[in-house]
Amino acid sequence: MLTIAKNLYDYRELMATLAWKNIALRYKQAYLGIAWAILKPVSLMLIFTLVKSFVGIESGNIPYPILTFAALMPWTFFQESTLDGVNSVVGNTALIKKIYFPREIFPITSVLTKLVELGINFVILAGLMVWYQMIPSIHFLWVPVIIAYTVLTALAVAFAGAAVNVYYRDVSQALPVLLSLVMYASPVIYPLQLVKNKLIVHQAAGGWSDTLYTLYTLNPLAGIIDAFQSVVLRGAPPDLNAMIPGAIMVAILLPLSYLYFKRAESYFADVI
Amino acid sequence: MPIIEVNHLTKEYRLGAIQGLKQTVLNTGARLMGRKVEERPLFKALDDVSLSIEQGEVVGIIGHNGAGKSTLLKMLARISTPTRGSVKVDGRIAPLIEVGAGFVPDFTGRENVYLNGAILGMSRQQIDKKFDEIVDFAEMAEFIDTPVKRYSSGMQVKLAFAVATSIEAEILIVDEVLAVGDLAFQRKCFDRMEDLIKRQEKTVLLVSHNIRQVERLCSRVVLLDKGALVEDNEPSLVCNRFINLMNLSIRSDRAHRQVREIQNSGEICNINMEALNPLTKCSGSLSFGSQATLRFSFDVVSGLRGVAIYIGIHTADFVYLTNNNTAFSARDFSIGHHTVELIFDEITLIPGIYSVLLWIGTPEGKVSYHTENLATFVVASDDFSISRQQGQALFSMSGSWRFDGVELAY
Repeated sequence: MLTIAKNLYDYRELMATLAWKNIALRYKQAYLGIAWAILKPVSLMLIFTLVKSFVGIESGNIPYPILTFAALMPWTFFQESTLDGVNSVVGNTALIKKIYFPREIFPITSVLTKLVELGINFVILAGLMVWYQMIPSIHFLWVPVIIAYTVLTALAVAFAGAAVNVYYRDVSQALPVLLSLVMYASPVIYPLQLVKNKLIVHQAAGGWSDTLYTLYTLNPLAGIIDAFQSVVLRGAPPDLNAMIPGAIMVAILLPLSYLYFKRAESYFADVI
Repeated sequence: MPIIEVNHLTKEYRLGAIQGLKQTVLNTGARLMGRKVEERPLFKALDDVSLSIEQGEVVGIIGHNGAGKSTLLKMLARISTPTRGSVKVDGRIAPLIEVGAGFVPDFTGRENVYLNGAILGMSRQQIDKKFDEIVDFAEMAEFIDTPVKRYSSGMQVKLAFAVATSIEAEILIVDEVLAVGDLAFQRKCFDRMEDLIKRQEKTVLLVSHNIRQVERLCSRVVLLDKGALVEDNEPSLVCNRFINLMNLSIRSDRAHRQVREIQNSGEICNINMEALNPLTKCSGSLSFGSQATLRFSFDVVSGLRGVAIYIGIHTADFVYLTNNNTAFSARDFSIGHHTVELIFDEITLIPGIYSVLLWIGTPEGKVSYHTENLATFVVASDDFSISRQQGQALFSMSGSWRFDGVELAY
């Protein structure tokens, strides 16, 4: 633990510079520049809102567009930072083969880079909140904690994924497919309340209902998205019951994933 | 207390491509069942290398392509890990392994200086402090805010070299970086390296194919061959051995696949040419300063009348050096086997690789046989003051010096 923290501290300037490189590079020759960062969640929000008008999703007393946007923010952040993190080692082949520094810097930097885009999306969120005349409550202070937790979740996937990707590029092919499946298994289009109502209140699956709900919340994103919506829009604290299974999952996976990455790291330059 | 210590370092690579997922799963299954699995063959890039370098030493690493030089540097720079053995480095390493790794084409020169500096481990303040010096050294002030992709390749390397050599580290690893830019800039690079070495007393590991550079800069040279450490000694001794070794290997390589155009009227066949060293009774390798014989044999199919023989020596890039001929006495050859010898009293060719051309025909110009590259031989010397001239001179001519009328004694 200590060495990780020390490494991160020692290489903070490098990470900052690499993150700046990633961001600047992405938008360097694009006319719309950084605006592209908001295009993805905003367009998905519009599509979901359109779909919602056909199928009818119960969104409680919160307008659906802002509810789904608040879900898309942590989701897009998780999805993109995981994908970038997994590709970060292979994508930096030139550096890996020439210069040594702790390799975990690559996935971590990728995830940090995406934080900037997440930050930009907060501007859109603020705009939507003004439009719908919503006032943030004291629970908004939870946001940094939720984001930090999302970062750890993304890293849990990114470390192991990046290491395996060095050997088998299948990972970078399979991951987008897998992630879009996970999106449907997360409360992005629909609120978590809907799942809760079905399983806990109506016991839709009979005796299996509670188990199914726990399984559903094993996906850390279920807790993350719901918590984000709660603290930002509902003015309520996060629903810890929905978060605990996922948090346990991350607490187990993250160290394993990191250890695997560190073990594989010394062969990156030979194999890549 | 050595600053770098390498003990029995071995690095093996598996040959061939990485197995597919299916094969990996099958093999793992087989291994679990206790069956033997067919392993891909191993290749030893480094074979039991031991080396210890003191603070302030400047060590050159030379060897053929694939001798393991870069692998050794990669181990020292921690980019790759040893299969067996250990590497101990006491201090910060600045790797200049191929400068410009991590240059981003879309960034301006300025942005790349900061990025590259950070990658090489400089803090932002350090770069701020050195920025002007870097730009100045690279002669880039005018273009520093232009994207690097618009730079010429020479400009890119200049900038990269300037950044890389401004790092503060105890140990510098330099892999073939001095061969950048035009002559004037090469000179500057060389001076900068010399300054780092002589004035700042850094420990430097220098890999280069430029033997003269190695000899000039280094206090000690290590020769690697096929992954093994062959010699570790004074620069002149090691460089001399390397030059001779290199020439021999080039010769044997060239002897195998020689492209030659043969002009043959059909009157002679079975031509065989060799360069003989009467001292060593060895064919193909001549000693500088001693006797040598060029012997060739041939079969005459139909009678040759009034022909002369020309034997010439030329370099690999077809600079014609000598021409010995019998035009003064054209002669006839009867049908059958003949042997002709050309004897040189003293080889004054500077060590290197040379080829023989043969021309048979009448002095008036009717060609019976003509080819270049008929045989290739090496000239070697035990004296490094001679062999180091390779590439700078082709011939040696003895001479004496007189300063203000006083003869200079050797």
